[in-house]
Amino acid sequence: MASLFSRAPIGQRSAVNEGALTRIALVLTAVVFLALFLIMPLVLVFVEAFRQGAGAYLEALKEPDALSAMRLTVTVAIIAVPLNVVFGLAASWAIAKFEFRGKNLLISLIDLPFSISPVISGLVWVLLFGSHSVLSPWLQAHDIQILFALPGLVLATMFVTFPFVARELIPLMQEQGTTDEEASLSLGASGLQTFWHVTLPNVRWALVYGVLLCTARAIGEFGAVSVVSGHIRGKTNTLPLHVEILYNEYSFVGAFAVASVLALLALVTLGIKAVLEWRYGNQLASGHRH
Amino acid sequence: MRISIRNVTKQFDRFPALGGVSLEIGSGELVALLGPSGSGKTTLLRSIAGLEHPSSGQILFDGEDVSNLSVGQRRIGFAFQSYALFRHMTVLSNVSFGLKVRPRKTRPSRAEIRARALELLDLVQLGGLEGRFPSQLSGGQRQRVALARALAIEPRVLLLDEPFGALDAKVRKELRRWLRQLHDRLGLTTIFVTHDQEEALELADRVVVMNKGEIEQAGTPVEVYDDPATAFVSEFLGTVNTFQTTLNDGIAEVLGTEFPVADADPGEGPQRRHGPAIAYVRTHEIELLSRERAEGIPAIVRAVFPFGGAIRVELAVEGYDMPIQVEVPRAFFEAGEVQVNSGLFIRATNARVFPQYN
Amino acid sequence: MASAGSRGKRRVIPGFGISLGFTIVYLGLIVLIPLAGLVLRSAGLGWSELYRIATDLRTVNAIWLSVWTAFIAATINVPFGVLVAWVMVRYRFPGRRILDAAVDLPFALPTAVAGIALTALYAPNGWVGAYLEEWGIKAAYTPLGIVIALTFIGLPFVVRTVQPLMEDIDKEVEEAAATLGAGRFQTVRRVILPAILPAVITGFALAFARAIGEYGSVVFIAGNIPYVSEIAPLLIIIRLEEYNYAGATTVATLMLLISFTLLIVINAIQAMTRRRYGSG
Repeated sequence: MASLFSRAPIGQRSAVNEGALTRIALVLTAVVFLALFLIMPLVLVFVEAFRQGAGAYLEALKEPDALSAMRLTVTVAIIAVPLNVVFGLAASWAIAKFEFRGKNLLISLIDLPFSISPVISGLVWVLLFGSHSVLSPWLQAHDIQILFALPGLVLATMFVTFPFVARELIPLMQEQGTTDEEASLSLGASGLQTFWHVTLPNVRWALVYGVLLCTARAIGEFGAVSVVSGHIRGKTNTLPLHVEILYNEYSFVGAFAVASVLALLALVTLGIKAVLEWRYGNQLASGHRH
Repeated sequence: MRISIRNVTKQFDRFPALGGVSLEIGSGELVALLGPSGSGKTTLLRSIAGLEHPSSGQILFDGEDVSNLSVGQRRIGFAFQSYALFRHMTVLSNVSFGLKVRPRKTRPSRAEIRARALELLDLVQLGGLEGRFPSQLSGGQRQRVALARALAIEPRVLLLDEPFGALDAKVRKELRRWLRQLHDRLGLTTIFVTHDQEEALELADRVVVMNKGEIEQAGTPVEVYDDPATAFVSEFLGTVNTFQTTLNDGIAEVLGTEFPVADADPGEGPQRRHGPAIAYVRTHEIELLSRERAEGIPAIVRAVFPFGGAIRVELAVEGYDMPIQVEVPRAFFEAGEVQVNSGLFIRATNARVFPQYN
Repeated sequence: MASAGSRGKRRVIPGFGISLGFTIVYLGLIVLIPLAGLVLRSAGLGWSELYRIATDLRTVNAIWLSVWTAFIAATINVPFGVLVAWVMVRYRFPGRRILDAAVDLPFALPTAVAGIALTALYAPNGWVGAYLEEWGIKAAYTPLGIVIALTFIGLPFVVRTVQPLMEDIDKEVEEAAATLGAGRFQTVRRVILPAILPAVITGFALAFARAIGEYGSVVFIAGNIPYVSEIAPLLIIIRLEEYNYAGATTVATLMLLISFTLLIVINAIQAMTRRRYGSG
């Protein structure tokens, strides 16, 4: 048993060891805590989804409103994520490769959406484009629908997922410094060639990592899109919103079936994330190196 | 190619990195920029490369002002201290990078690029390693890849920033010899930055000693070593003993012997001939005299380090706080004259005396 | 030498203007202008109106509920988060990698999914709720349920902030403590804990900040009874549904104030840590 719960290989020295009993007790406490607290809800999602068998499960997923929610969710992510990728690349290039005044303020501002309640991230768009806003008459005159439609969902999602790519790239690029770019320029490469052939390959895994987290959040976002969506079934409901509606209608199998799709995506995300950290950890921002 | 640096200054946010540096570098010369960290040597090298834009002054390549050319336009070969090899590219791709990024008009064909790169890898004795990635190479091999990559663009000048800084002592010596041979073979004007005086003195045709953003002295290794122009150079090169002394009509006494004040620094105005002064005496410029001949100053041996051809001895002399370091030939030590706690007499055979300002 | 200054400032690496320009424009359009709109709206209400809504009992109760449940959840996460981080960094046991990856589950799992799962789990007929019921404890549809959901959400913040710092602790420092005669417990208490303390505080603050604004995982389990189990973000949505923009704006502004205060505290801790230990 004691060998099963061994210390990390770095320090097989007895002077800095806990006793075997302490070790086992600590590991068991942590494992039980994580199992009860994190794993059990996950298991429950799948158990509830299949409560009435695989047939009912598939039926729930094939329902037209569920399918349209899936399509909408994918559409929102396909628009929001690439825009945030372009932003992340531009921001990290400016911040990591140059010195300028106000840089720290800029970094704090980029992180801002992380510390704002998702509901507020939706509310700001309602205030900007809603029927009480200054822009409202103009929007109506030109027949532009932002709230309770795709643009509103995309904007709210962009706000919430705004920092994900940038915050993976900025610390890594800062750490890498500018010598590779200087070397490339000294060899006669242009700015774009340098970015494409030198900078981008240097941060590619961090970029993949950021895109992964950004996409996961874009698909799963609930609070912000809930505010701007208007909850029109089959029209403006994303997958998480569809889960809510089904749940509130006591259609538990349907709710958990759709939820299980999202949970599966979350598991895939975690899997890819773990592989990236394990395989390419040295090419990610230092916080993710294991 | 000739390089002229004319009155170049560089002001960083808070401090001046270069304060009006002028230097002429002849075609085919191998020049070392030597100085402690913060002396401005790297800033000067980067300014020549175009990686740093001077605040004022001019840099000329063969008489042509390149101050307004970008680093890519200057056609310089720059080897970075960290090598800056592109880690996701093979050795071959690294070396051919500079040719591949050329505009289509001037870009050689794929086959030509490959052939040139392989040829350069042979030149730096890395033939056969073209498929490796930088992480699969030793430090010395990486440095040579960096050199081959810089040479691939047929640079007009080779600029090396601390080329051996990250290597262990043995590899460093080998690479140094190899770089000298390479330079002699290619005849390329080469400038390298180092803080290692041995490296500068052994490798360079000319050594430029820098301190606080200014050039203290530029000359052949023998000139700067034997005839240091300033107090800084005297102290920076070789192992020296430092003595506080007083100038009296241009003459100062050091360990019982009188020495004249050093020649005035040109441009500094007339040298002061009276007042406090500082004298530098190299460890081999102090003679140990046997007890019978009562010349010089009495001293007591505190420690002996009997390793190598010259033996290092530490002596205590009354009136001097610091132990005095002396190097004596091994034969002298083997004669049995030098033993810990034995007394003997010492005399300075040479000293460089500089008036002390402020 | 008039041009000298500008020449010295010229940048060697290209693309500064365009990348910074794009960054600022995009940041402005997506984040700053919408946020400024919120602030302007609340400023437009005037002090007396703002004060009236802010001191409205339902508003006060909602914000207070969000704050204290978030605080308790973050507090629970400190010992458990440190324990999990310790076990992951210091020990090797079967399934460690999987559990380590699972710590991020609350980050990855959409909050709505977490919300319905936790509710089903802690409802009186749920797997855990049924046990609690026997002890006379009601979890779902009470503030306790809110605390559970917020603890779930906050755990990775503490673990992931503490973990890298724990990995960085130099083994030799612990050995030094041992050679100086410190027992294992003393070493942990006097050497390791102080070293990770800034990270623990940062992790706590991050979990706290996130929990105050959390919505998705809480609404299902909270019960949403006004004055009792109605959290601040939900109140914003309720006000919006009533077309009471002033009410929604005021609650949002109050929450923003709390978030920014926390943000400043977190930054101050990190700046202090960097100054003292040379790295954050």
